Amino acid sequence: MPTILCIDDEALGLQIRRAVLERAGYQVLTAVDGPGGLALFRKEPVDGVVLDYYMPEMDGGAVAEAMRRERPEIPIMLLSAYINLPPEVVQLVDMTLLKGEGPLELLEKLRLMLRSEGSSPGRFS
Amino acid sequence: MKPPAFNRTLRQLVALPILLLLILASFLLWQIQATARAQRELDHSDQVTAKLQELQNLFIDQETGLRGFQLTGDPVMLAPWKAAASPIQSRFGDLQQMLAADADQETRLQDLQRRYNEWLGFADAVLHQDAAALNAARMNQRGKEMMDGIRAVAKRMQQHESNLREARFRHARWLQRQELVSLLLSVFIVGAVLAFFTRHHVRAISVSYLRRIADITQRSEELYESQQWFQTTLESIGDAVIACDMDGRVAFMNAVAEKLTGWSLVEAKGQSLEVVFRIIHEQTRQAAENPVAKVRRLRKVVGLANHTVLIARNGHESVIDDSAAPITSGLGDMIGVVLVFRDVTEERQMQSALVASEKLAVAGRLAASIAHEIHNPLDSVANLHFLLDQETNAEKRAEYLRLAQQELGRTMQISRTMLSLYREPKAPIEIQLRDLVDGVLLLLDRRLQHQGVRVETEIADSLTVEGFPAELRQVLTNLIVNAMDASGPKGRIRIRVQRAEATELRGIGALIDIADSGPGISPDAVSRLFQPFFTTKGANGTGLGLWVSMGIVQKHGGSIEVGSSDDPGLTGASMRVYLPARTFAGVPALSA
Repeated sequence: MPTILCIDDEALGLQIRRAVLERAGYQVLTAVDGPGGLALFRKEPVDGVVLDYYMPEMDGGAVAEAMRRERPEIPIMLLSAYINLPPEVVQLVDMTLLKGEGPLELLEKLRLMLRSEGSSPGRFS
Repeated sequence: MKPPAFNRTLRQLVALPILLLLILASFLLWQIQATARAQRELDHSDQVTAKLQELQNLFIDQETGLRGFQLTGDPVMLAPWKAAASPIQSRFGDLQQMLAADADQETRLQDLQRRYNEWLGFADAVLHQDAAALNAARMNQRGKEMMDGIRAVAKRMQQHESNLREARFRHARWLQRQELVSLLLSVFIVGAVLAFFTRHHVRAISVSYLRRIADITQRSEELYESQQWFQTTLESIGDAVIACDMDGRVAFMNAVAEKLTGWSLVEAKGQSLEVVFRIIHEQTRQAAENPVAKVRRLRKVVGLANHTVLIARNGHESVIDDSAAPITSGLGDMIGVVLVFRDVTEERQMQSALVASEKLAVAGRLAASIAHEIHNPLDSVANLHFLLDQETNAEKRAEYLRLAQQELGRTMQISRTMLSLYREPKAPIEIQLRDLVDGVLLLLDRRLQHQGVRVETEIADSLTVEGFPAELRQVLTNLIVNAMDASGPKGRIRIRVQRAEATELRGIGALIDIADSGPGISPDAVSRLFQPFFTTKGANGTGLGLWVSMGIVQKHGGSIEVGSSDDPGLTGASMRVYLPARTFAGVPALSA
C-alpha cells in the first residue's frame, strides 16, 4: 500500500487524520512541523504528502517548495483552514483541500492524486 | 511732495523774498549813507572856503582902516579896523574847529594866525608912532609885505580847499553813479533770484499737486477694485461667512452662508445673529453658546464646540465645523466678529463609512484566523465521525466520541470569543485589562505563532478601566498586529500594562505599552501615523487602523503616543496608550 506523509502542527487533528488514512489502508508517517516532515520525506519511501499550510515558522508553502526541489515527482496535497491560499503556493502543489470538507473528500482526492502520480502539478486542484 | 516738504516750501516762498529785500534795503542804506557823507564833506569844503573868504575880507577891512589912519591920522578911520578885530578871532576859532581833521590845513591855519598876529604887532607899532612916521615909505612897505604873506597863505589854503572840494565832488558823483548802478543791478539780481526761486517752487508744488490728485484718483480706483475683489472673494468662497457688528447684528453673509442658514442677506441684515445662526449641540440638542459673545469675551479666534448643528430657517439641520474671529480696526479696536463655517455632514458620514470599512477590514482579518481556528476542530470532528461510522470497538468509539466532544467544545469557545468581539454594551462597563489583553492574544495566537513572534506580557493585577470592550479590543488588535508586522519573523513584542498615576494633564488610569523589536518608525511617518489612509504596508493595509484606534482612544478620554522602548532588545516603536480609569464616553459614536 502507498505510504503517505502527513504534516500538521495540530497534533490531535493529525492523529485523527492518521487513523482515517490507516483505516483506508494507507501506510502513514506523521510530523508536527515542516523541518520534521522534510527529514522524513528525505529518509522514507514516500508516495504522497498531505501537508497543512498554516504552521508556525515554516509554512506549508515553504515545505512544498523544498520537496518540489528535491523530488518533484512526489504528489503533494495541501490542506488548509484558510480559504485564501496564496496563488503561487496553489500552483506548486497537485491538490488542495479545505479542512472541514470531510474524510470522504480527503480520501477521494488522495486516490485521484496517487493514481495520476507523475502528471503535471496543479492538474486536480 | 509730502505735507512737511510742502510746508517747508511755503515758508521758503515767504521768507526768501523778505530776506532778499532786507539785504537790498541794507545795501541801499549803506550806499545812501556813503553819498550823504560825501555830500557833507563837500559842504564842509564850501564852508571852509567861505570862512577863508570872510577872513580875507576882514583882513582887507582892517588893512584899509589901518591905511586910512596912516594917511589921515584920524582915529575915525580906524572904525573898520576895530569892527573886524572880533569877527577875525571868531573866524579863526571856527576854522580851527573845522580843520582839526586836516593836518596840512591846520598847519597852514597856524601859520596864517602867526602871520596875522605878527601883522597885528606891526599894526600896534603903527598906531603908537608919531604922525610923521606913520606914512613912512619903509613902514608901508613892511606892512604890505606882511599882508601879502598873509594873503599868500590864505590863498594857498583856499587853493587846497578848492582842490579838496574838487576831489570830493568827483567822489560824490562817483558814489551817486555807483549807487544808481548798484540799485539797478541789485534790483535786477533780487528780481531774477526771486523769479527763479518762486518759479522753481511753484512748479514743484504744482507737479506735486497734480501727482497727488493722480495718486488719489488711482488709489480710489484701486480701493474700489479691491473692495469689489474682496466682495467677490467672500461671495465665491467655498465656506460660509457671516460678519457681525459688535452688537451681534448680521452685516454681511455670503452665498454659502445664505444657503446653509436659509436666510438671504437682505433679510438677515441687521437681524441678531442668534436668529439667523441657530446652533445646538449635536447630541445634547441644547443651544450652543453664541459665538459673538464668546469672541467678545475672549477677544481671540475661537473654534466653536465640536458636534455643532446648525438649524436652517426651514428646519434643515447640518453638522458644521466652524470658527469665529474678531474683526479689528486699524487702531486695534474690535469692531465686529466674523464667522466661518462649513457643512461637514457629508464628511461626518464619510468618516463613519471609513470607520465601518476599517471595522470590516478588521473583521476580515480576524475571520481568516477564526476560520482557521474553527475549521481545524471541524475537520477533526468530521474525521472522527467517519471513524465512528466504521468502528465497532466500543472502547475506541467512546474515545472518538470524547475527542469529538472536545473539538466541538473548542469550536464553541472560539465562536463565543468571536461573538463577544461584536457584542457591545450600550454604556461603558468596567473592563479587566488582563482579560482584555489575554482575549486579544488568544485570537491572534495562531498568527503570532505562524510568524514566530514571541509575546511577553507584564500586566498589573486587577487593573480596570471603564470603556467599550469591543472597541478597545479593536485598538489592541490593531497595535499588536502592527507590532507583529513590524518585528517580522522571529521578532519579539512586549506588552506592559501599568497603573498610570494622576498628573496635571490627566487623571488616574492605565498605561498600555506595546513595544516591538522591529526597525522603528521614521520621524516622517510618525507625524502622519494617525492620519487616515496612511500606511507603510502597501496594498496589505487600509491605512485606517491607527486613525480609528486614535478615534476610539480619544473617545474614551485617552491618548496614544509613539515613543521608544527602554529595553535595548526592543528596537522598534513603543506605542503607549493611556486610558483613564473613568471615561466620559457616551454612546459609541464611532461605531458604524
